[in-house]
Amino acid sequence: MHGFELIVSVASPGELAGTDLSPYDAVCLGSPYCRRVEGNYAESLERLDDAVSRLHAAGRKAYVTTPAAPREADLPHVGRLIDAAAAAGADALEVHNLGVLRMLREKGRPLPAHMGAYANVYTHLAAGVMRDAGAVRVRPNAEVTIEEMGTIAREAAVEVELLVHGKIPLGVTDRCFLLAGPEESDPNCPSACREEHWLTTRQWVLKTVGKGVLSGRDMCLLEHLPRLVREGFRVFRVEGLYETAAYRSEIGAVYRESLAIAFAGGDYAVMEGWASAVRRHAKRGLCNGYCFGFAGRKYVGTVLQGDNPGV
Amino acid sequence: MVRVAFDHGADAVYVGAKGWSRRRAQYEMEDPQIAEAARYARSVGKILRVAFNTLPASSEAPLFLSRTDALYEAGIRDFILTDPGLMMALKNRHPDTILHASVGCTIINVQDALFYKEAGASQVVAECRMDKDTMRKIKEEARVGLEVLVHATTCYTLLGRCTMSSYVRHEHQVDAEGKDHFPGSPNRGGLCYRICLSDWDRVSGAGVLEASGVALPNTAYFLADDIPDLIDLGVDTIKIQGREYSPALVGEMVRFYRELIDACVRDRAGFRMEPWKERMAGIVAGRDAERKEKTAGLIRESLG
Repeated sequence: MHGFELIVSVASPGELAGTDLSPYDAVCLGSPYCRRVEGNYAESLERLDDAVSRLHAAGRKAYVTTPAAPREADLPHVGRLIDAAAAAGADALEVHNLGVLRMLREKGRPLPAHMGAYANVYTHLAAGVMRDAGAVRVRPNAEVTIEEMGTIAREAAVEVELLVHGKIPLGVTDRCFLLAGPEESDPNCPSACREEHWLTTRQWVLKTVGKGVLSGRDMCLLEHLPRLVREGFRVFRVEGLYETAAYRSEIGAVYRESLAIAFAGGDYAVMEGWASAVRRHAKRGLCNGYCFGFAGRKYVGTVLQGDNPGV
Repeated sequence: MVRVAFDHGADAVYVGAKGWSRRRAQYEMEDPQIAEAARYARSVGKILRVAFNTLPASSEAPLFLSRTDALYEAGIRDFILTDPGLMMALKNRHPDTILHASVGCTIINVQDALFYKEAGASQVVAECRMDKDTMRKIKEEARVGLEVLVHATTCYTLLGRCTMSSYVRHEHQVDAEGKDHFPGSPNRGGLCYRICLSDWDRVSGAGVLEASGVALPNTAYFLADDIPDLIDLGVDTIKIQGREYSPALVGEMVRFYRELIDACVRDRAGFRMEPWKERMAGIVAGRDAERKEKTAGLIRESLG
């Protein structure tokens, strides 16, 4: 690791295709939202061996995600997923559901757990319980501020992962909003969530991916990276699910370069090329309010706010 | 409202400790009020449970412990929580407390129930859409008490895993004791602006309107029909969400469920739902009217 770790999430071979992974240190494979996402690495277990091997051969770590909201009927699959990820040599399992964390523990912790965005980590006490059950890393809930994240890292003695760029996960359900009928028989499944759909009302915009609700605006901490470095954060995520290959590639490149400069110390300023890339890909604007104790859709900063109509 | 609920037939009542429950402050109680309500509960042979079921900031953990210490000193032993860390801390501090895992824990499978049991919960609240097979398995395999909401709302997303409200409006409001009420975050402070119930347009990536005026499904339900099955499954607690309704409506709802449950238990084989349905329809109409008015006010407030 070059002093920090930059992760991108990728659901399937379809999303992986064309994505330049060179900016990233690790890839989190699979979609936690829906088992029916086409090619979902967390569902198509036969793909895991090859995907993990390829990432390792390319010098990247491979994490595997698990369903965010597994019903009882999903647990046998989750058990097989844990076994397959461990057998494939994955570096960690991303866990959103505490029952899944318990399953991992009961299997003898064949691989470390990274608590995901839906694990509802709000306090260092909760993080400590998860650490004792096998978690080595936590991603606090979106509502948790940077200051609180620092407390969690210090007091619970776990690594804290931050979303530095991309859509914020705002909600998960097990009923697809994009389908009219049952998912097993609806001809629009699984194609519906491959297309882009927005929900708009008043001045608000959200992105729906069927079983997940994401922020309309892109979380962006680009101009705050020196603070994150000063406060000891080392693990950063670019949310790549349901985005284009160009998005993952170009945003990754921005953060690889900007984090390297921030970690080197000295002067730091948002370069025009970076600003241009994040603006180009943020169709509905930028946000980062949660990190500073405001509404999630707000943007705190002085550099990228200026001419962005969505902010 | 506590007295109304007990007097109309509730065996137990949950109240929110001010700043700490999944409702805004106006529906919560100060400690002296809680102590008084607990005394009344004991005097009529019933249970008062105190909700500390928000997800606070780490820095508020000492405040949580001092508040629960004070209530413990006042004789209160029953609490409902969400954060597994707080749960374990309270259980370690006061081993004779009785802890329930809140609906905010989003317990959707047996392994979830076991996790919270190990964290100190003796009873767990089932996620609102849990099927009866899973309830049966939780009773059989997790061997933990099971609580089912028969009168609540099924959020668009899974309850406890949603931050849509705070995405649009979120503030900090620290009370005299130092507790942040986190207005706008149902998980952290209880006030949800219910933005899912706004009129949404669904638009494609190309900007084409796909559907207009779509409400993201968030429906109030009333599961009287399921009560006989829940009793057969051995469900330990049948719960009504009542705090945001008027005391008169809460009294009417509690009385209805009390009589229905008692009739079912008295003569399970001969029990029929039909005679109850007309009375239920009247309660549903009253509830929906109160909820609609409240939702419109919350959405207006979210724009403020």
